[in-house]
Amino acid sequence: MSTDAPSYLPRRERILANTLVIVLAILTLLPFLWFVVMSFKPSDEFFTGIDGLFFKPTLKNYEGLWTGRFSVSIWNSIVTSTVSTGLALMIGTPGAYALSRATMRRERTFSLLILASRMAPPVAFAIPYFLVYRNLGLLDTKTGLIIVYLTFNLALVVWLMRNFFDGTPRALEEAAWIDGASLWKTFVLIVLPMSTPAIATTAMLCFLYSWNDFFFALTLTRNSAMTAPVEVVNFMNYEGWEWGKIAAGGTLIMMPVLLFSVLMRKYLVAGMTAGAVKG
Amino acid sequence: MSISTKVSDYAAASDGRGAAIGALPHFERQRIRFFWMLLTPVLVILAIVTLLPTIYLLVTSFTPLSLATPGTAWNFSDPLANYKVLFGDSRLHNSLWVQLKLSFFTVVLQLLLGLVVALLLNMRTALMEALRSTFLVPMVLPPIVVAIIWKVLYSPDISPAWWIFKALGWSVATPITDANWALTAIIIADTWEWFPFTMLIILAALSMMPEELREAARIDGATSWQLTWFVTLPYLRNTLLVAGLFRLIDSIKTFPLIYILTDGGPGTVTEVSNYYVFSQSFNYSYIGYSSAVTMVLLAITLLLSWIIIRVVAGESRVD
Repeated sequence: MSTDAPSYLPRRERILANTLVIVLAILTLLPFLWFVVMSFKPSDEFFTGIDGLFFKPTLKNYEGLWTGRFSVSIWNSIVTSTVSTGLALMIGTPGAYALSRATMRRERTFSLLILASRMAPPVAFAIPYFLVYRNLGLLDTKTGLIIVYLTFNLALVVWLMRNFFDGTPRALEEAAWIDGASLWKTFVLIVLPMSTPAIATTAMLCFLYSWNDFFFALTLTRNSAMTAPVEVVNFMNYEGWEWGKIAAGGTLIMMPVLLFSVLMRKYLVAGMTAGAVKG
Repeated sequence: MSISTKVSDYAAASDGRGAAIGALPHFERQRIRFFWMLLTPVLVILAIVTLLPTIYLLVTSFTPLSLATPGTAWNFSDPLANYKVLFGDSRLHNSLWVQLKLSFFTVVLQLLLGLVVALLLNMRTALMEALRSTFLVPMVLPPIVVAIIWKVLYSPDISPAWWIFKALGWSVATPITDANWALTAIIIADTWEWFPFTMLIILAALSMMPEELREAARIDGATSWQLTWFVTLPYLRNTLLVAGLFRLIDSIKTFPLIYILTDGGPGTVTEVSNYYVFSQSFNYSYIGYSSAVTMVLLAITLLLSWIIIRVVAGESRVD
């Protein structure tokens, strides 16, 4: 793919298009940038009207977060997202490999299952999980959230890793078998090492989906297992409207997400259309 | 589900899978067993975490279960009661109507905006390559942060937009508490959040568009506008359909925006079905009835997903 501008594009059109893109980019970024800027604003200057555009930045809002429950909720977010991602990869990757190397009769049904588990409204899972967890004592536990996150993470791993294996040559594995390596040994020593980049991107996507979850955390946790997205919202209710903390907390929550998205920009489409479109 | 190996060219060259497997050499049978061993855990766990809950949801939808009333669990005396109520529940019907409006406008706007930005970015000037990633930001942000960002923008006393309105001497209503504007406010925020998704899918399709298609038209003297209208857009038809369907299904799940911005209000102006189910089940504990409504939503989702798969499958067959 060439990155040079096509030469046929007339100069006037190019300038017009460039200007338009700049305007659109600014419009797209402004709401987000303002929010980040707000997180550095002294909390007594939020309601100052148009003069509030200029202020001396402070880290007070961020410092305020670490003394309270917010730090616990960040930890909950990290643990649930990481463990659920790890589990999904451990269970899903071998399965994806098997699916890629074998042919299945009900390809269409399988696609539908994968797609449906990504598409289903979260409330469809939240209700039964809520009822079961109430009886099992898993409400408001990290374990409970980790299991719920498997509902979308497993499907995501199977779909993405299978696409990856489909695109890799079998020659290496077959050579290893001919040399007498066992099936297990070939999988662990040949197939897995060459999949590290794919596993890394898949892991990032799973992490993002779990990290971004709001609905399950809202409905299945109350207190001790509450994750950061829900805790931020609590700054809106219990302690009045602490805009400074809300902005600081929100900014912290989006940091890993922005970082990962830059690292795997190319795979975003495949990840978000899992089940339908092969990346 | 049945499985056979693809590399069995020496064993199963002639078709008739069942017969061929019996004739497979020892190694082939070993491989099939190995594959099943890798596959079984995923299938079992996937069934436990997704299929079982769905069955439980279906079963619950036949009961009058309400957490506030004892003895309502596993009560199947009138299994279709919830589904009968569905037809007479005007609040539910209203929520479906709100959903329809929200879905229609967000899908159309996201397709339009996504298409415009994708067509622009596809000109691939150096500047555009540099700015490309900035358009992805809204989509990857945690949805709850997006909702809070718009809450800030829609709250006159802290919103820079309202400061400017005030400086200009305009008096603009607060959209999220105004029944006439609340849904529009959500549509705008949702469009901002998700146009990057349609944009990405369209860009991916554009990058795979055969250059000969455009070249031929250009030699015939087509202008850029004609090229876009008569060559590029027809080429993108299926892509737009798939992107639109994806957004349509996702629009059924819109939650954080409504939860943070309007809480379904004012009144029920922005209460979509998904939100109605949420409040019925988790605020009022009418689990049985909520399950029935959810089953309906799930059925709609499945139908739309099936259509996507058909469209995509049709597309790859043409290739």
